[in-house]
Amino acid sequence: MRKGWFLPIAAALGFSFLYAPIVSLVIFSFNENRLVTVWSGFSLKWYGELFNDPQMLGAAWLSLQIAALSATIALVLGTLAAVALVRFRRFKGRTLFAGMVSAPLVMPDVITGLSLLLLFVAMESILGWPQGRGMLTIVIAHATFCTAYVCVVVQSRLGDFDRSLEEAAMDLGAPPVRTFFDITLPIIAPALVSGWLLGFTLSLDDLVIASFVSGPGSSTLPMVIFSKVRLGVSPDVNALATIIIGIVALGVLAATIIQLRSKPRTQI
Amino acid sequence: MTTRDPTIPPPRRLKPWNAVERGLARVGISGRMLVLLAPVLWLLVFFLIPLAVVFGISLANKQFGRPPYTPLLTTDEGTVQLTLHLNNYIRLFTDNLYVAAYLSSIRIAAIATVITLLVGYPMAYAIARSSDRWRNILLMLVILPFFTSFLLRVYALTGFMRGNGVINQFIGLFGFEPLVMMQTDFAVYVGIVYTYLPFMILPLYTTLVKLDVSLFEASADLGARPIHTFLFITLPLSLPGVIAGSMLVFIPAIGEFVIPSLLGGPETLMIGRVLWDEFFTNTNWPRAAAVACAMLVVVVVPIMLLQKAQGAVVEK
Amino acid sequence: MAKRPQLAIDTRPWRDTANNKPFVRIRNVTKKFGDVSAVHEVSLDIYRSELFCLLGGSGSGKSTLLRMLAGFENPTSGTIEIDGQDMTEVPPYNRPVNMMFQSYALFPHMSVEQNIAYGLKRDGLPRAEIAARVAELLALVKLQDYGKRKPHQLSGGQRQRVALARALAKRPKLLLLDEPLGALDKKLREETQFELVKIQEQLGVTFIVVTHDQEEAMTLATRIGVMNQGEIAMIGEPTDIYEFPNSRFVANFIGSANMVEGVVTEDEPDHVRIRSTELGCDIYVGHGVDCAPDQLLWWAIRPEKMALSREKPEGLHGANVATGVVEEIAYLGDISVYQIVLESGKRLRVSQTNTVRGNPDAITWEEQVYVTWGIDAGSVLTV
Repeated sequence: MRKGWFLPIAAALGFSFLYAPIVSLVIFSFNENRLVTVWSGFSLKWYGELFNDPQMLGAAWLSLQIAALSATIALVLGTLAAVALVRFRRFKGRTLFAGMVSAPLVMPDVITGLSLLLLFVAMESILGWPQGRGMLTIVIAHATFCTAYVCVVVQSRLGDFDRSLEEAAMDLGAPPVRTFFDITLPIIAPALVSGWLLGFTLSLDDLVIASFVSGPGSSTLPMVIFSKVRLGVSPDVNALATIIIGIVALGVLAATIIQLRSKPRTQI
Repeated sequence: MTTRDPTIPPPRRLKPWNAVERGLARVGISGRMLVLLAPVLWLLVFFLIPLAVVFGISLANKQFGRPPYTPLLTTDEGTVQLTLHLNNYIRLFTDNLYVAAYLSSIRIAAIATVITLLVGYPMAYAIARSSDRWRNILLMLVILPFFTSFLLRVYALTGFMRGNGVINQFIGLFGFEPLVMMQTDFAVYVGIVYTYLPFMILPLYTTLVKLDVSLFEASADLGARPIHTFLFITLPLSLPGVIAGSMLVFIPAIGEFVIPSLLGGPETLMIGRVLWDEFFTNTNWPRAAAVACAMLVVVVVPIMLLQKAQGAVVEK
Repeated sequence: MAKRPQLAIDTRPWRDTANNKPFVRIRNVTKKFGDVSAVHEVSLDIYRSELFCLLGGSGSGKSTLLRMLAGFENPTSGTIEIDGQDMTEVPPYNRPVNMMFQSYALFPHMSVEQNIAYGLKRDGLPRAEIAARVAELLALVKLQDYGKRKPHQLSGGQRQRVALARALAKRPKLLLLDEPLGALDKKLREETQFELVKIQEQLGVTFIVVTHDQEEAMTLATRIGVMNQGEIAMIGEPTDIYEFPNSRFVANFIGSANMVEGVVTEDEPDHVRIRSTELGCDIYVGHGVDCAPDQLLWWAIRPEKMALSREKPEGLHGANVATGVVEEIAYLGDISVYQIVLESGKRLRVSQTNTVRGNPDAITWEEQVYVTWGIDAGSVLTV
């Protein structure tokens, strides 16, 4: 097909719009000056400051733990939900179930956060559990909305899955559960990995829901960052952002390469 | 198990999965139920019931104490009494602040969605029409920001648009006066477009990439100019992607809190921010719950549109 | 090579049902999906070491029947017995049956060897024996050097052979093959057909093959079951199905046939005479037919069973000669197919072998010709 000039230029402009702010943020993280936007020489001092900030480090550690835990819970729940939705064509309440699984995807964060907080408060006064709010309640909240994302990712993989592979395994003597672990699981593994990673980053990223359901002394990293940047630009946040962007870029790169490599193999 | 051949000995190992399955089947639990049990219970307790709780508390009144709302059910000399207050909802409709916040949220989300569509469509189309090698790289570049922190991307924008930010320094080189961008509705639009652009591009790309090139060739062959081909062939066929992408931007943008509070000014009214302030600043939980319920009503129609469009995007 | 086992193709056990026990018995099996019957009241006996083909168009129920034999679907009613055992309650993983899938269903994350060994591992065979068996199977399908490859590194024909080897690995008594050659191109398909028959004869395993390709069914099968809309239309050896179809459906479905309507005018034990206004002549059939006088019935004849001539031939019993004009000729090299329009407007297709090279005297367009046939050349059909 003949190619015009409009699309490439539009795409180039779009991508520069996406990346220019990030690039400038990374550049200014190496700026020596406290005034973030005035360049006065290369320096790593904001990185040093970052690693000497116990509040920041504590919040980061807490966020990582929460992200890992909730991504793992979401992986199990989301995979089960996806299996149910793809494989069980008809069951009672299927529509309600499908709605419950996908609704957290589009539910505004403020509603999710508020509703879970009100639930936890009500549960505490009726059941005496959970006592207070903190890491546990954040993990529960994050696992809930991450389940929806994992489910979507796994669902699409299971959707292209050739059922005759499972039938072949059963035909050769493997009972259903064995078939799931021998055949289904290895083949959908890339989707599970990306589902977990997605859950992990979403949890690491969440400010609004965590603000509602966290308790005193359990401030996550986004909460700390938010309270800092609300007051203005601070160069150590630039440093932190650069580190996070670096890690994510490497991770996504690795994941893309793995997916591209595994593609011809899984498409038979 | 039947032996298939004299040379195959009967299985010696006890197969644990068989035993587990048989055991559970005896108690009347099928594999299906086990698969469904955990996600159903979890979503029931942590998704559906909370929404019911929100609705319940929206019918309570604020009070001082813990919890800071009046109980719905009270026992008075052995009889259970149900007390419902509608004053939160009455306030929503009578207080100009709330009405204005709702309208302004819808307006801001709608305008931002249209801009995102205008920016995202050419990008999605360019990616869909690029060579295989480039397509994967460009797609990754779209997805990459989605994985970087949302909060930090909004923060990156503040550094860009501030009075002495990158843009103003840049245009200052050419002798222009610095622009006031931060703390305006404009900044909020830019923020929404910037952060939600990947949500628009991905469904658009999915529908556009499935369009057969021969469709365009056939259209051109029948005498259509490129603009006509786009208007009568490409655009109608990508409509599910347009709707899905637009709803994926519009719905979360309505309830957005971070963008208006970091980029918007004090007069930027958005309902997510109102809810946040009602809850954290005024600690009026019942009022916040009522705001949430009203917000749900606003997003229900877009959510249904989205579900339908998403089905069409995946199907084709 | 092992001694050739005694095969169904030689003994033809289905011709002596009193003394031979069927290996697979399908009794009144019905399968409904919702309100739709995919398979309706099918009964079928298949004998040991047969190569039985289920032939039918899409939606004829042939694949559903196969899936019920494998255990992936349960019959709504009826029973399936394999080797004297009722299979109704037996799940697929406990059946002495293996299946070769249309898509081959090779496990993409396992090598060829692991694919073949999978079923043997599930049976808990000792490692050494599994290795020996895998090597033996790889040799059988001539893929000795490909054991370590992954399925995506194989060609279509090689994948097909791996799928066959994997299905044979457990030495099943019964092998089910779902369109085993469907994904191969024409040339490879023809080669593989004979290889499949060779392997089947070498191992003596009972094969049930589902196919929509009648040529494939004719080449492979000891017997064919023709399916139509969930029911068995006819069961028989390939020659029976082609030469003696039992219904208009089978006559039309297998090969091509001219179908003519007529009315019985003479009904004797040794012959019948049918008057056909479509043909413009009588049809004399040299055997008795179970019918009533004046009954409307159909007469089917294959294009190659008729002869064309310019001169009016001697009529047989004053019948079996129709007159018409050549309307179309399709030259296919070995044969030519003539389309003849009769006076009634009825068109007949007659094929003639091209025995003379570049024959200048061949019958050509617009010529008036006579069409004749023998007294046993066609089939009289009442349904």
